[in-house]
Amino acid sequence: MNSNVPDSKKISPFLVFFLIHTMQSGVGILGFQRFIAKTAGYDAWMSIILSGLFVHILLWMMFKMLKIADGDMTSIHTFVLGKKIGKIFSSFFILYFCLFTVAILRSYIEVVQVWMFPELRTFWFALVFHILVIYIVFGGFRTVAGIAFFSIILPFYIAVLFVVIIPYADFTNLLPIFDHSVKELLLASRDMSFTLLGFETLLFFYPFIQNPERSKKWAHFGALYTTMLCIYLAILAFGFFPEAQLQKNIWPTLAMWKIIKLPFVERFEYIGVSNWGLVILPNICICLWCASRLAKQLFSIRQKTSVPAIAILCLIATSLISTRGQINILTDYTGKVGFYFNFIYVPLLFAGTLIAKKVRNREKHT
Amino acid sequence: MFNLFKNKNHEKENLDKLLAKSDDFKCIEYFNNKTNVSFTLKFLATLVDSKTIQESVLPYLLEENFKQIEDAKQIIPLADIQLSEDISQIEDKLFTGSVLLTVSGKENKFCFLGARKEIGRNVSLPEVEFSVIGPKESFVESLDQNLNLIRKRVPVKELIMEKLTVGTLSKTKVAILYIDGITNPENVNTVRQRIEDIEFDEITDSSYIVQIISDNQNSPFPQLLDTERPDRISAILAEGKVAIFVDGSPHALIGPTTLVEFFSSFEDYYLNWILSSFFRLIRLFAVVFSILVTPVYVATLSYHYELIPIDLMNTLVASRRAIPFPPILEALFLELTIELLREAGARLPTKVGQTIGIVGGIVIGTASVQAGLTSNILLIFIALAALASFTTPVYRIGNTIRLLRFPFLLFAEVWGLLGIVVCFCFLLTHLIRLTSLGRPYLEPLYPPRMQDLKDAFIRLSFDKQRKRPFLLNTKQPNRFHKKAAKYKKDIEDE
Amino acid sequence: MRSILKLIASVFLALNLIGCVKKEVLDDISLIEGIGFDYIDKKNILGTVVIPVYLPDQPPKSNTFSTKAEITKSILQDIQRQTADPIVTGSIEVLLFSKTLTEKLGILPLVDAFQRDPSIGSGLYLAMVDGETKELLAGQYGIRGTATYISKLMEHNIRNEDLPKSNLELFLTDFYQEGKTPFIPQLKQIGKNKMEINGISLLKHGKMVDLIEPKEMFFFKLLVDKYSEGMHLVKIDSGEAAVRSIHSSHNFELTKRNPTEVTIHIKVDGIINEFTGQELTPKTIEGLQKQFEKDIKKESLKLIKRFKDKQLDPIGFGHFVKTQTRNFDFNNWRKNQYKDLVVKIKADVKISESGVIE
Repeated sequence: MNSNVPDSKKISPFLVFFLIHTMQSGVGILGFQRFIAKTAGYDAWMSIILSGLFVHILLWMMFKMLKIADGDMTSIHTFVLGKKIGKIFSSFFILYFCLFTVAILRSYIEVVQVWMFPELRTFWFALVFHILVIYIVFGGFRTVAGIAFFSIILPFYIAVLFVVIIPYADFTNLLPIFDHSVKELLLASRDMSFTLLGFETLLFFYPFIQNPERSKKWAHFGALYTTMLCIYLAILAFGFFPEAQLQKNIWPTLAMWKIIKLPFVERFEYIGVSNWGLVILPNICICLWCASRLAKQLFSIRQKTSVPAIAILCLIATSLISTRGQINILTDYTGKVGFYFNFIYVPLLFAGTLIAKKVRNREKHT
Repeated sequence: MFNLFKNKNHEKENLDKLLAKSDDFKCIEYFNNKTNVSFTLKFLATLVDSKTIQESVLPYLLEENFKQIEDAKQIIPLADIQLSEDISQIEDKLFTGSVLLTVSGKENKFCFLGARKEIGRNVSLPEVEFSVIGPKESFVESLDQNLNLIRKRVPVKELIMEKLTVGTLSKTKVAILYIDGITNPENVNTVRQRIEDIEFDEITDSSYIVQIISDNQNSPFPQLLDTERPDRISAILAEGKVAIFVDGSPHALIGPTTLVEFFSSFEDYYLNWILSSFFRLIRLFAVVFSILVTPVYVATLSYHYELIPIDLMNTLVASRRAIPFPPILEALFLELTIELLREAGARLPTKVGQTIGIVGGIVIGTASVQAGLTSNILLIFIALAALASFTTPVYRIGNTIRLLRFPFLLFAEVWGLLGIVVCFCFLLTHLIRLTSLGRPYLEPLYPPRMQDLKDAFIRLSFDKQRKRPFLLNTKQPNRFHKKAAKYKKDIEDE
Repeated sequence: MRSILKLIASVFLALNLIGCVKKEVLDDISLIEGIGFDYIDKKNILGTVVIPVYLPDQPPKSNTFSTKAEITKSILQDIQRQTADPIVTGSIEVLLFSKTLTEKLGILPLVDAFQRDPSIGSGLYLAMVDGETKELLAGQYGIRGTATYISKLMEHNIRNEDLPKSNLELFLTDFYQEGKTPFIPQLKQIGKNKMEINGISLLKHGKMVDLIEPKEMFFFKLLVDKYSEGMHLVKIDSGEAAVRSIHSSHNFELTKRNPTEVTIHIKVDGIINEFTGQELTPKTIEGLQKQFEKDIKKESLKLIKRFKDKQLDPIGFGHFVKTQTRNFDFNNWRKNQYKDLVVKIKADVKISESGVIE
């Protein structure tokens, strides 16, 4: 599998940091504080650490599997399940990534519609966004990785700007620690994992990493960085809002910006929301790229045809969803599917890979 | 194109026939009284220096012991004398300013006497890339003279100058320069291959070559750096890049290049690194400012009034009150005015151009504010943006920046700040996809390379610049060898 | 190869045809800078908005529009019918409520609209007006427009004087924080074009229940704000001294449970601005410090006692005790514990400078 990716199309291992981190931080990061505080209250920051740990374990499993199968998800499936069943299983992931694309883009458009332009037409914005995404994906995986890189470097100032709100925050809100039961913490960490999803794309772009062994540490750093960022934002929001108020805010991260007042800019949300477009852009690119790559491997459709085709499908799906209720259902389902895939299917597959390896080794010896 | 004639003798007759049509073609027969030999000189009077013929050729041919063609080499005091029997060379030689000498009766043997007339400028001050500090030479139109300037600065045998000829009509000489042992041969091959592949009739300037051999011809960004400074060329040769010289063009090309290189003036290397880093950052800020200021103005005034600080509101609204146009039209009107002034200034002779600039700037600006067509705040922004776009040290990228503002303006008009971000994403993608001679254009930003960042947005001191750019993948990555670890002195140590 | 320019041009054309969003061009809108609400009867309120008219080379002129309606948004709706340009709420700076309204209806239903609207920043100031807001807003104050005048008035009093920090964000935080009572400053018109801050009103469930007088404000700020400034007049036998606190802070400490005892450590760093007595000896300064500490103790305890009696908690004892206790029960706190709460004040005043003369 590795052999069919030319060296000039591969990316250097440390870019994996950006790819993993960018996939994890999308629209979810704007509003995750509310969900985790629902069950675990203001102890929920511990749940973030917990789910962060799970992510690391899963990453480790993924690397192990990828090394054994020497390839990507499709080769793992072939390795464990055989060619035909593997193909069927793999093809589900095309749908999975389409779902992801639609969920991310639609939630972002909702944010724009609520915060900036209530009249923004979903279809037209989604159309332009998809044209942009197609333009990026046509540039190959290197371009996708480049967008991921810039989408983290450029909006970094936002994370720094949050310092402005510290004087308004009352961090005693977080006290007393351990006011909630372990069960509540675990439930909250399950909710948290919806936000941390996205690192599974590693299974698909793995063959595009130069020297994949060295990328391991960067992938873990990426996940670690996401966890840290989430803790940072969660603690800020917990300090900023009393519990009752946090539950009222759909996007606590955005609502915090309302207080930021700079000498030359009176209000910051508008800049922030616009900038977030750059943050979610690589998510959609990576999803679309993965979907088209899978289509190429499974059905040998040229990526130049499959990318626009998938984009059109996603575009139609995105513009069909109109109310907040529908968007919530969509994100809920996406979260759940992602959760089951990452936290249940991946460990199962991991076990399967290990067994398959043992069986093959034995066959070889005999 | 003109080598249609297979038969050689036939070819010569044809050549003579065609040439006879031109008035400047001279074919004169002489007779040497001493040796009773009659000989003919053929040349193009416009290309040949008549003084050379009068003083260094004819006196010797007529008065010395000139019996046969081979004697010419001994008696004529010219360096460039060549004996030949190859008829196909004749056309080439005649058109590069040689005199063809034949002895009657033995027309199949001939001698070329180099008597080229050199008409052209002398080396003068650089006009586009002027610098206060540093050398003041610049390239001229003559290829030989330009190469001379480089050879003087890089007097080593490793400096290779390959010559190619391109253009079916212009027969332009193109020289590819690189330093053997440093430059990655892959880059040289790419350049050579692309230049050899050029299919065009008349190549009049290096700008033609830039456009034809660019990786992406549909990009507004120049993908090869052009310069008129010999010092810059010699420095980039030492870095391991390839330079392309074109006969008849005072601008040499450099490749592979990166976007940030267009924002570095060569004067940066003549200043202390702290100063030059500061100036580079200012320039970069100027560019961003120049592209974004009007779009942000349009976006804020059309959609995001909430962003405007309350103290500024009075000034802004009061200046806009009387203006009948929406911000976008106001901005476009002013932008176009500035573009007009710029175009007019560029086309007119220097002195008139300056006057137009002042008249246009002051008179039109004030008048349009007073007439209530534009707001004075926008006028300040646009003037500053125009000023900022002139800070780019390379003229070509300045043009690109002028153009970039317009798509941003349109997007800002449609979706405000969100539109600006979307447009920025398009631009970013374009830049990520762009390559220069197959090397990433946005390097060292993407792919991120710490080593090359030392000489990008800031320029670190020379002792930190030990390695050649990673981008070029040079054969000899070290510029110099670090001396044995320096002893760290304490305060009072000698 | 697709040309980026072609792409941008075609996208733009498509967008312009169908995809446009509503524009709010700065000079074609009426910016509301302040809103006031007055009480009419149980159902109806009178809303007054301040809209500045910006003129070149002149201070903005503040126009007011008033209308009667049931809820905030319908007030704006009615005012739309009076203005030449559409009115927008994005740059509101102050929200005023008349005293009668705050006492009878409460401000909560009115604040909801401002909390929900994404275009409104949470840094805007809330204030109660002793009198009618319509009359207050009708005046012309300062050179920057009425609303800006009010917001600047509050801003500098918060930063340098004895008004505790307060804005929409803090009001909401206090409101949603269990075990804390929100408060907003009170304004009063004292002449045709003059107004002053004349107290702080404490709101329970959005309704006014108590008022902090200006002379108590210094101590109130010491208790409420983590860091505060302000001026206090200290009287001792040898004369009176105006002491400006340049840096003060407080700290809470839970010293005992059952009954709960909280100790508040108050530190004041002050300088003497004025002294009426004969000579300012180190001994007098010591005396001043002692007296100042006594004042703080006395006044603060007086305030706290009043709050306990009225079941108010602007200092946030409830919240503080909650952060120190696992499985805290707020009902029990409100019913029993708060009444029995013992508060001790430990004041520490340090006068470091006394001006440029001995």
